[in-house]
Amino acid sequence: MQTDHRRLSAALLILASIASLALPQTPPATGPRITPHIYAITNARLVAQPGAVIERGTIVIRDGLITAVGANVTAPADARIIDGAGLTVYPGLIDACSTLGLPAPQPTPTPGSGPPATVAVQPVSPPAAAAGAPNSTRPVGFRPEILAADLIRPGGEQIEAARSAGITAALTAPRDGIFTGQSAFINLAGDTPQEMVIHSPVALHIGFTPLRGGTYPGSLMGVWAALRQMLLDAQRLGEAEQIYDRDPKGLRRPEYDRSVAALIPVVKRQMPVVMYADTEREIRRALDFAQEFNLRAIIAGGTEAWRVTDRLRELKVPVLLSLNFPKRTTAAVPEADPEPLRILRGRVDALKTAGRLAGAGVRFAFQSGALTNMADFLGNVAKAVENGLSRDDALRALTINAAEILGVSDRLGTLEAGKIANLTVTRGDLFDRNRRISYVFIDGRPVDLRPPAAAAPGAAIATGTWTLKVELGEVEADITLTLQQEGPVLRGSMQGALGAGSISNASVGPAGEIRFTVPVTVGGQTTEATFSGTITGNEMRGTVQVVGRSPGSFTGTKPQ
Amino acid sequence: MTKPVRLILLFLALGGISGGQALSGQTAPQRGADAETLIRNATVLTITRGTLQNADILIKGGKIAAVGPNLKAGANARVIDATGKFVMPGIIDCHSHSMADAINESTLSVTSMARIGDVLNPTDVDLYRELAGGVTTLNVLHGSANAIGGQNAVVKIKYGRPVSEFIFPGAPPGIKFALGENPKRSNFTSIPGQPRRYPATRMGVEEVIREAFTRARDYKMAWDEYRAAVARGEKKIIPPRRDLQLEPLVEVLEGKRFVHAHCYRAEEILMLLNLADEFGFKIRTLQHVLEGYKVAKEIAAHGAGASIFADNWAYKIEAYDAIPYNAAIMLRAGVNVSINSDSDERARRLNIEAAKMMRYGDLTEEEALKLITLNPAIQLGIEKRVGSIEVGKDADLAIWNGHPLSVYSRVETTLIDGEIFFDRQQDLARRADLERERAALEQAEPNRPPARGEAPATPRGRRPAYGHDDDLWDGEDH
Repeated sequence: MQTDHRRLSAALLILASIASLALPQTPPATGPRITPHIYAITNARLVAQPGAVIERGTIVIRDGLITAVGANVTAPADARIIDGAGLTVYPGLIDACSTLGLPAPQPTPTPGSGPPATVAVQPVSPPAAAAGAPNSTRPVGFRPEILAADLIRPGGEQIEAARSAGITAALTAPRDGIFTGQSAFINLAGDTPQEMVIHSPVALHIGFTPLRGGTYPGSLMGVWAALRQMLLDAQRLGEAEQIYDRDPKGLRRPEYDRSVAALIPVVKRQMPVVMYADTEREIRRALDFAQEFNLRAIIAGGTEAWRVTDRLRELKVPVLLSLNFPKRTTAAVPEADPEPLRILRGRVDALKTAGRLAGAGVRFAFQSGALTNMADFLGNVAKAVENGLSRDDALRALTINAAEILGVSDRLGTLEAGKIANLTVTRGDLFDRNRRISYVFIDGRPVDLRPPAAAAPGAAIATGTWTLKVELGEVEADITLTLQQEGPVLRGSMQGALGAGSISNASVGPAGEIRFTVPVTVGGQTTEATFSGTITGNEMRGTVQVVGRSPGSFTGTKPQ
Repeated sequence: MTKPVRLILLFLALGGISGGQALSGQTAPQRGADAETLIRNATVLTITRGTLQNADILIKGGKIAAVGPNLKAGANARVIDATGKFVMPGIIDCHSHSMADAINESTLSVTSMARIGDVLNPTDVDLYRELAGGVTTLNVLHGSANAIGGQNAVVKIKYGRPVSEFIFPGAPPGIKFALGENPKRSNFTSIPGQPRRYPATRMGVEEVIREAFTRARDYKMAWDEYRAAVARGEKKIIPPRRDLQLEPLVEVLEGKRFVHAHCYRAEEILMLLNLADEFGFKIRTLQHVLEGYKVAKEIAAHGAGASIFADNWAYKIEAYDAIPYNAAIMLRAGVNVSINSDSDERARRLNIEAAKMMRYGDLTEEEALKLITLNPAIQLGIEKRVGSIEVGKDADLAIWNGHPLSVYSRVETTLIDGEIFFDRQQDLARRADLERERAALEQAEPNRPPARGEAPATPRGRRPAYGHDDDLWDGEDH
């Protein structure tokens, strides 16, 4: 017994020393890579670019770049070979406007939550500079100098979801405010922000969201006035600096203002401006503004861009078309007012916008548009294809068009030797509803994909017995859910540490969105809890809202 | 773009508007201002030349070409038989907030840089309802949250067209001022955590306006000096900063921009007239001006117009002294008076508001009609184009099935620049089609509700696009 014990201790000691030896051996961040990353996908269908298909060929990737693409390419001896029989290799898909990699916007402090207010009577108070924040005379939401490249963080749920949907690269910019900042074009892989950035800054982004809390501009009208003033200031600063730099003697120096200075490349047409505009009138206002200041405009959103095609084409303004198609999210109750025809038409028309833009010769690329479920990204492209968009144009809008509009087509967007090895590899055509994303290569390396969602329409993905772990503040509880799905209708019951009961108000969406209400007993009190989340394969995760408590979360699995 | 394509696009654009007018087959081939139209055998209320019985109106190129009996039109002309009907000039609403996606920029006390023209929504269904009330021209104003508000937009209600076609050609630009309880924020509890906005008294309102015009005068001087220096040939000189807040105020000082001032009480009206005299500019219209009857002579002497409610009163302290004889008293004192709506609802029945002024103050029929036609046209500086039925004026007309000052009458057809923008018969005929379309759309995939979802959200307000209006308004008093 004693000997055994000693032996065990000795073994543990050895193990511990091995572990401590192993730990510092993580490779240094810089310096040459020890392992070369060489891959070859053979016998695959290669869509080098829209309309250029090699039915059976090989693509070779070496250290992050595509080195060969073609029917007669032989895989090098040192490559890891992937048998591509039955697979199609596309240029890596691009999300042409997103917030990927950026922290969630800070919630605006609600009035009353801050320190006690001083009822000072003064026309305008300058925005207080937060400790450690860069000097600025402008309120948050009005700072064009902000660089997305300074804010991005690698990894995270959003990026993982995007990659699993086949997206390899994205334009990313903060979304909230008026001048939301300058975007970066990033790869959706990399251990550091530096490794992710492909190009920065790409464009200035204007979001038109009025500022809150009584700060000017607090209305859309004020937003336009403030934008106009700021661009005039930038024009003047550009001229004043020229005059001053020629001979400063005898002149007051132009005031240093980073925010205004950041706009000088914009008014000089050196940097494009992405303007968020969905409805016809929003788009027309944006185009008027671009003409007024001779800006290189790009429209983001573009739901009703098909109504403005003649002007978009005439001004050569491309559109970053949102795939976040409007849909009816609530069931109609008899007492509710009927929805306006305009809304009903708008939802149907949104599916046709892409096809109409292509038909009218307006250049466009697809973007996720704050989709909550990235599985809808390709699903909605497929809907656009069903509504009049050709497959080639759809692929163009996901690859080379995005790269061209965003200024990176020399390094991305097609399968060409020398370009960055971003690939999206599928089983089945990209736009078929039952295709699978088999591999995603970013910077020449395969990335991990989530198990595909069993989102075949009609499949009862929720049916079964689920084991869920629920976290509600300090309370952690294991529960068992028994679910029965028929189409979108869901029935079932819950048992476990939170009590037992039947679920109600339950539904399952086509992409696995699940929602139900169930009575729970927490801390001796029985209240209603609303679960909402997503089913991905045999996993379910989401949030729990319990009356009178802060929201919690749940994760769970369905053992086969 | 080829013409057929443009027509198709137009058709699509029209189709995209809920409850929009269907200018279907009948008018599509000869759409536009080139078309000739003959309105036959009507009772014509010309406003300036009396009432003509059994008269025709010939419209060519969007203008009134002839008014009189037995007019002849070309073979291709559209003929509207108006036997038993009444034709009057399109109604002009001198105080509206329809089609504005934002109404108040209320963060500052001087927001002269804000422009209503930047936020017009040509698809606002209120516009269609106003056409159905015979209204053709609106003075779309900034709200009254601040002493000096934003710039206005005078529009023709060309519902279904892009905003650019709404803008009234050549209408002088204007700006909103406001006095009294709204700019001093008396009826609004300040939001906790936010400093209360200056000013808080009528004295403060006066000071804000005086200070702004003092700055505007200095600004003008700085530019004058700069231009003089450039003219002298000085090269090394940085131009002054363009200030979009002060530029419109310089235009006011130069008489190039009309002031439309929201006001209630006699003393603040006199204050503003004196302040304007001090800086050497004119107040073009006093809006609401509920106590105008107390200082009617002074208003007339300054030359300001008055744009008022017919009989709204007592909805707040500063409105207690209002009387419905306001229009008559000011009119008799020589003030140009108009009746406005300041409301998307009231705008549909301005004819009744005008009729009330025959009951209160014994206005003649013609005087009552002028309150909503020629008088507001003069106040907006567009009386050479609209406001009466005269040869050479724009063919902005409302055809009624009875006398427009009768509560039983309603509009049959509304024309702007000779084009039909509302037609009651077409509207009725189209409703079955719209119901069929709705039924089909409800079946389309994106419109099908997820079964057993959560209860629908509370219906949103009428301006869902932005939702940053001054939500403190009672809806009556912009």
